[in-house]
Order: sequence, then C-alpha cells, then structure tokens
Amino acid sequence: MGLMAYLNDILEAVVTTAKGMRITARYGVDPKEEVTLQYPEERWEIPERSRGFLFNDIKTCTSCTMCVKACPVDCISLESVRGADKKMVLVSYDINIGRCMYCGLCVEVCPPKSLKHTGGYEMASVQRGELILHFVQEDAAEIKARVARQVAEAAAKAAEAAKAAEAAKSAEGAPEPPKPATKPAEPPPPGEKPAAPAPEKKE
Amino acid sequence: MEALALSLVKSFPALSVAPLWAVSLLLMVAAGVVVLVFALTFEGVGSLVLRKVAGDIQARIGPNRVGPNGILQFLADGVKLVLKEDIIPAKADRLLFKLAPYFVFVGSFAAFVVVPFGVGLSPADLNIGVYYVMAITSLVVVGVMLAGWASNNKWALLGGMRAAAQIVSYEIPVGMALIPAVLIAGSLSLQDIVKSQGGLLGIFGWNLFHNPFTFFSFLLYFTAAQAETNQTPFDLPEAESELVSGYNVEYSGIRFGLFFLAEFGDMFIVAALATACFLGGWHVPFLNAAVLPPVWGNLLSLGVFLTKAFAMVLIMMWVRWTLPRLRVDQLMRMSWKYMVPLTFVNLLGVSLWLLVFRGKGIPQMIASLFG
Repeated sequence: MGLMAYLNDILEAVVTTAKGMRITARYGVDPKEEVTLQYPEERWEIPERSRGFLFNDIKTCTSCTMCVKACPVDCISLESVRGADKKMVLVSYDINIGRCMYCGLCVEVCPPKSLKHTGGYEMASVQRGELILHFVQEDAAEIKARVARQVAEAAAKAAEAAKAAEAAKSAEGAPEPPKPATKPAEPPPPGEKPAAPAPEKKE
Repeated sequence: MEALALSLVKSFPALSVAPLWAVSLLLMVAAGVVVLVFALTFEGVGSLVLRKVAGDIQARIGPNRVGPNGILQFLADGVKLVLKEDIIPAKADRLLFKLAPYFVFVGSFAAFVVVPFGVGLSPADLNIGVYYVMAITSLVVVGVMLAGWASNNKWALLGGMRAAAQIVSYEIPVGMALIPAVLIAGSLSLQDIVKSQGGLLGIFGWNLFHNPFTFFSFLLYFTAAQAETNQTPFDLPEAESELVSGYNVEYSGIRFGLFFLAEFGDMFIVAALATACFLGGWHVPFLNAAVLPPVWGNLLSLGVFLTKAFAMVLIMMWVRWTLPRLRVDQLMRMSWKYMVPLTFVNLLGVSLWLLVFRGKGIPQMIASLFG
C-alpha cells in the first residue's frame, strides 16, 4: 500500500463519515421527517378498495354458495333450507376470519353483491373460536323449524285451495286453473337483524 | 481536601473539636456522594436523551408515554432494572460473575474524581490527572473480561475477548492524542491543563486552535476514545446482531444496570476529557472566571463546562446513530494501521511546533502581532 493510497483511505473515511452525519443531522433536526403514527390514537386512512374483514348482508344473500365454492381455504360455511316460496333461506353463514387470506375471490363471484370487504382490520381475540364471524344471529335449529312449519302451512293451504278449487270446479263445471300462489306463505320477516360482526371502527 | 478541611475548620470554629482527618474524610465522602449523584442523574437523563436523539435521527418520535413528552421514561427504566430478578446462570463462576459489574462501574465512575468541573470544583485535583484517567478506565477491561468469562457463555466470552482486544488497542491512540494537551500545559493535572487554555477571548486560547496538530489530535482523540469506551460505531463487544448482547448477555436486574450506567459514565468521561484537554474546559468565553467571586465563578464555570461536555455527548450520540458497526479486523486495522501512526505523527508535530515557536500557538502569535 503506497502512501497516497493510505492517505486516500483516511480522506475517504472522513468524507463518507461526514456525508452520513449530514444526512442523520437533517433527519434529527427536521421534525417533519417523523413518520411515526401513534396507532391507537391515530390511524392510517385505509384505501377505499382495501380488503378488510368480510361482511355479508344476509338480507340480499341468495344462498347460492358461490362464495363457498370460490374460497380457496374453505373458510366460509353456509347452510340453507328451501323456504315455502321455493327460495333458499339462510340458516347459518359463518366466515372463519382467522383462516381467511383476504384474496377477495368470494366477493368477486357473489351474484347479488351481498358479500363485501369492509375496512375493518382490528380483531384480536384470545380464542380461535372468537375469530369465526356469525352473520345469522338466530339459532339454526329455530330457523329450520320455522321454515319447516311455514312450508307445511303453505302446503296445507295449497291443498285446501286445490280442494276448494276442485269443489268449485265440480260445482260450476267451469275449468278454472288452480291458484296456489294467491297466498304464498311469504318468508316471514322474523325480525332477523343483519349480523354486523365486522367492526367498522373509524376513529 | 485537607486544605479545604482546614479552611472549613477556620471558618467554623465549632468543627475544631473533631480531628482534622475526620473533617477531611467527611468532606471526601460528601464530594463522592455529590459526584455519584451527578453521575447517576447524568446517566439517567442521558439514556432518555439518547433514545430521543435516536428517535429523531431515525424519523421516529422516541419515548413519549411516561410523563409529559416521555421525560420520566428513565425513572421507569431504572425502576424496572432494579425490580428485575437477578439471575446467575447455574454454570457460571458465581464469585467472578458477581464481581465483574463492580469492576466495570468502579472503573468508569472513579474517573469522575479528577474531572475539572469548575474553577475550584474538582473532586480531587491529582497531579497525574490524565494518567490517572487512563489507568483507572483500564479497570473496565478487567471487569468486561471477567463478565465474559464468568458467564460461561460463548457469546459473552467472545464479547469479553473483543472488548479486551479493543480497549487495549485503543488505549495507545487515546493516550498519544492526549499528550499534546499535556505538552502545552506542561502538567498532567487536568486543572493545570484547563488553566493553560485561558485568555485570548476565552475561545482562541483553547488547545483546539493552538496549532493544526492539536486540532487533528482532538479529532483523533475523540474517535479513539469512542472506540475505547465501546461506543456504537465500535461497539463490537456488545454487537447485538452477532453476539446477542456481548459480555453482559447473562446479566439481569441491577447487575446489568451497573454495566449500563458504566457505559454512560464512560460517555461523559470521554466528553469531559475532550472538553478539558481541547475545548478550554471551564473557561467562560470573554470572561475570566478565576477572578470572579468564588460562588459566581464556580457556578458560571460549572455551567460552561457542563454545556461543552453535554454538547460533546450529543455529538457522540449523533455519531452513534449514524455509523454502522465495524468488523473486528477493520477495527484492529483502524487502530494499529491508522490511529496509532497518525497519533504518533501528530505528537511529533506538536512537539516540533512547541520547540520551534517556543510554546506559542497560532492565536497567540496573531495576538502578539497586534500587541
């Protein structure tokens, strides 16, 4: 190592040190460079289309099970029964949010657009069971029993109507088509509240 | 101390019933307690400032939860350290393990004894002050080696070995870089060194501006001293990423606290020595503190000294959060191939300067031109 290289080493050490010191001094003096967010008190504004927790609006959900089939990790479980009006009635709709990987496939395939991502992202729990979101609050057995009752009632009414029509037909002799759907046992509004387990906390 | 005791006895005749040695012993204990309290306060506040500076430099906020703006953080840290369980590993050498923190702490704290805080404020003005500091801070090596060995842990041992190699290597450049100040003052006493830097508006008398060589020797001293006290660009003994925490990895509770305090004590000693030897010590700019009334002179000079020393500590923190850690071989190369030859050349330069210009510095020569 020649003398010039030796002196160059020293010069380089001094110059590079000074350069680094200048950068940190700028950061140290300028308070605007602080990027810390005091998290529980302040939060980032999350983007509009961010994929947070899933939320299913069970009023519009048609129980088509597309989301169940689309889910790559099988975190959605859905149970439904056929109601009196031939429409499917949701008995239970659970999403295991602890298993969800937020791929968004279920949201994309949802035909009635009832399944959506919310902005929620805070859900700490001490038990894994607490991470399962239940969107149908009512007990599954109760719904099933009620739907079965309604179906039975509707069937009885239809049979009565048919009988009455038959009687009328035989009485009048006029061929009139039966009207079984005059009084469709509407799926009664059972006062189900839409489940809102996804906490949409903002501020 | 005995002179002080004598004057005390003279001004308070009631004290004359006690023997003189008792009075001076009492004074010594009092001085020790005052300095210890100062050192502990500095170490506490220093740790808070260190973390705040780290936050600023790294675009963070730093501690801000304990007390207003986080200023009580160091109390929380201290309470936590004291309350933690004191664990001694089963396979450790118990005696040495217990002994090591005291060596380190004593080595660091004993150096406070000769620091010239003010005109008359020096716990003990030893006539071999600089030599004493160099010698007593070497006790830290023993403590660190003991800690590394007694922990019976490979990381601790590696850290201890590194510390020994590093401190021994860097003691030479540190000593060599301090000698110019000794040469100019013609004394090893830190008070004499400070006194030799008076006059000339209080700033241009500093050894820093005495001649180009002393300026370089200040830079060399500051660099080498940071390496000697294991400050961050040279903190190989406790390199977190490779040695977990180095020689103190097995320590917890108050024993770890002692290592921690010693580190901050070293920081202040380096800053104080740099201030005393190169930055004019307690000399108040544009004033002669020595001729003021004793109380005001002492207070003013104490303030000036602490301001300068704390500024140096801040610069050390700034360096600490800027530069990445050196490798072991780089560290050794820097000491033996760069620092040692440079300090020798520097020492030669200062000696020749003093010989050729009869001990006059550049500011003195300029001043003599204008009469």
